[in-house]
Amino acid sequence: MAAKKAARKEFQLAAVLDLNHASVLHGELMALRGSDIVIDATAVERVGAQCAQVLVAGAKTWKADNKAFAVGKASDAYLTAMQLIGMNEDYLVPKEI
Amino acid sequence: MDMNEIKEIFFQECEEQLAELESGLLKLNDGDRDPETVNAVFRAVHSIKGGAGAFGLDDLVSFAHVFETTLDCVRSNKLEPTQDVLKVMLKSADVLADLVGASRDGGSVEEGRTRTLVKELEALANGEAPSGAEAAKPAPKAAAPKAETPKPTDDSGFQPIPFTFDDFGGDEEQAADQTTFEITFKPRRELYAKGNEAALLLRDLSRLGEMSIACDADTVPALDAMDPEAAYFSWKIALKTDKSEADIRAVFEFAEWDCDLDVKLAEDGRGDDELPMIPVPFDLSAFDDAEEVAPATIDDASAAVAAAETASAVAKTVAARAEKKEAAAAPAAQAAAPAAANAAAGQTIRVDLDRVDRLINLVGELVINQAMLSQSVIENDNNGVSSINMGLEELQQLTREIQDSVMAIRAQPVKPVFQRMSRIVREVADMVGKQIRLITEGENTEVDKTVIDKIAEPLTHMIRNAVDHGIESPEKREAAGKDPEGTIKLSAKHRSGRILIELQDDGGGINRERVKQKAIDNDLISPDANLSDEEIDNLIFAPGFSTADQISDISGRGVGMDVVKRSIQALGGRISISSRPGQGSVFTMSLPLTLAVLDGMVVTVAGQTLVVPLTAIVETLQPEASAIHSFGANQRLISIRNSFCPLVDVGRILNFRATQANPVEGVALLVESEGGGQRALMVDAIQGQRQVVIKSLEANYTHVPGIAAATILGDGRVALILDVDAVVAASRGQSLRPEMSLAATG
Repeated sequence: MAAKKAARKEFQLAAVLDLNHASVLHGELMALRGSDIVIDATAVERVGAQCAQVLVAGAKTWKADNKAFAVGKASDAYLTAMQLIGMNEDYLVPKEI
Repeated sequence: MDMNEIKEIFFQECEEQLAELESGLLKLNDGDRDPETVNAVFRAVHSIKGGAGAFGLDDLVSFAHVFETTLDCVRSNKLEPTQDVLKVMLKSADVLADLVGASRDGGSVEEGRTRTLVKELEALANGEAPSGAEAAKPAPKAAAPKAETPKPTDDSGFQPIPFTFDDFGGDEEQAADQTTFEITFKPRRELYAKGNEAALLLRDLSRLGEMSIACDADTVPALDAMDPEAAYFSWKIALKTDKSEADIRAVFEFAEWDCDLDVKLAEDGRGDDELPMIPVPFDLSAFDDAEEVAPATIDDASAAVAAAETASAVAKTVAARAEKKEAAAAPAAQAAAPAAANAAAGQTIRVDLDRVDRLINLVGELVINQAMLSQSVIENDNNGVSSINMGLEELQQLTREIQDSVMAIRAQPVKPVFQRMSRIVREVADMVGKQIRLITEGENTEVDKTVIDKIAEPLTHMIRNAVDHGIESPEKREAAGKDPEGTIKLSAKHRSGRILIELQDDGGGINRERVKQKAIDNDLISPDANLSDEEIDNLIFAPGFSTADQISDISGRGVGMDVVKRSIQALGGRISISSRPGQGSVFTMSLPLTLAVLDGMVVTVAGQTLVVPLTAIVETLQPEASAIHSFGANQRLISIRNSFCPLVDVGRILNFRATQANPVEGVALLVESEGGGQRALMVDAIQGQRQVVIKSLEANYTHVPGIAAATILGDGRVALILDVDAVVAASRGQSLRPEMSLAATG
């Protein structure tokens, strides 16, 4: 268990995940493929639908790769945005990790 | 950027929207039933209304609202866009344009005219047939709740509409009862590309009531297969609200065309339960805070987008133009509707024309300077192989490319001018009780903006003439076995480096007998002059040819046609007419594509340096004595490949010399003139071929017959640019000489 945690990479999301950031986020996630990953959403102030799409695609990709993809801590803004766009637990809402 | 500048941008946008509106209505008039055309028309009026609301232009808002309401009925297939309906719509577009003009320049629009149209529009929206239509087409339901006509609050019949549009229609019927709507919202890629944020639309929606939402993320592919800027999510939303469907749709009003949206009442008042719904909290303050903080911390483009997300249609341009500090402070905060922000897309920019002109001038100077530099290097480099020489050639090429690119900035389609003409046709035809259809072709033909600006006036004049006098009355047309509806065709096309604009009518044509007699009476031609039909027709352009009381005698041709011709000539253009009695007339205007540069052949004539536009030259040849034949007293022909072509001594025509030069000692330039037919222009020698910067003679000196403009050559000397067609016309005989001599003395 401890070893598994050590292999995990932490990825901090930017403050503004708007339309302009979708491509950036896509590139960042692509670069992290192959590792287990924990998303840190504490700094997030704003989330747009396109960034949420990229995160969902990330979650699906990690699942297909048999790697862990989880959202750790998150800001209120992140949680509200996820609720607003109807994200359910399958993807981007923090769960027990 | 102050409020006036923003307002100015709004008016510029209005011009574009009005053009869009008119072109859409005309398409519908031609039978186009593409929903996108109807949408474009609706959008245009809607955008004008939105912007006008932001500036408190109440008259404009009120009229636009009524107009929009009726258009909405067309959009939702409640109103069939018949010819009668479109007639009202086209008139409304004209009034809307006038209201925009009045708002911009001050003044007012005749109230009676506006009121009549408002009534007609309202009648249409209520399913009544337009006045003049034979049968009423009852609409099953008057209009969508949104399209309900606001109750008049003053005696003008208008109700000022608040810009927020919060209270539009339908509220009474909803009462205080809460209803549940099922909403399906699937954004398309364009929605995001235009800077709209689906999350913000959802936020606005959630504020209307109690909302539950389910996101369908199944279509999102894996990371490596996805396009991060595409649209994959779609949403099913259950919204319990006391608002109307129109209120819900209003949330999406600026994104409506870029998404699939379905709003319907939930069956049994329940929401959809196929997907697990997540309740959305009403308190979204965290979301708001983040949004307000964000612009200060993000880069230029996103700042513009952030501003524009909450901006009005006007503010989107502000955001696009604004620099960073301005974008953050864009006066968009007060606007309620989310807008499509083109800031990120950045397809076009608005640039002050003066700036472009300054650049063009500078590039012109650069071209001259480069030519002068080349010339002095050539003069000092006898063997012509120095590296400076080669470098200069590259510089020349580069300068040329810069010049072409700069000129392209000024190129604009003739469409706006053509569209203005359709209004003139409508109005004048209405006034004189004729039925006329304007057909336009080649509206996307591009030409320099200066040409476009200056062509509008003469064209307007000619169109008025054509409608007023060219086309006969419906009775006369029927008696002549023609369709009672007359046709005027306006077309534009590129031909050999120029733009050719043709105005064709199927009216009665020119009465040549009368024209000729009038020209003889006015001493414009000698009584024994032997003129071709074309030459007689062209007499109407002669100064002093006509006066007002002769208008009707010659189907109106001649009223101020010399003025028209002068305007065209001032642009370096030419105009000609050909007419077939009983079948109509065709005016042909040939204009340069640009007024700035020209590819020319530099030639010597009687010691003078002239430039002949390259586009006119078909070929050059060295005449042999055996090929020259005399014809008549002083005409000479040159035989070229078994055909004969008149030989024209340029030096003689321009009065550079008293007698004709010996053709064998010179060079012949075979040219094709606008009126058709070829001529061999005799010059003494060819110096070379180069691009020259046109300097207007009219602006700096005066019009000189036979000369189109001037230029400065590499050695600093001024050279005249030959007006090939004028020279050819002058060589044809005496018909155009009076005009030339008059112009020379005038």
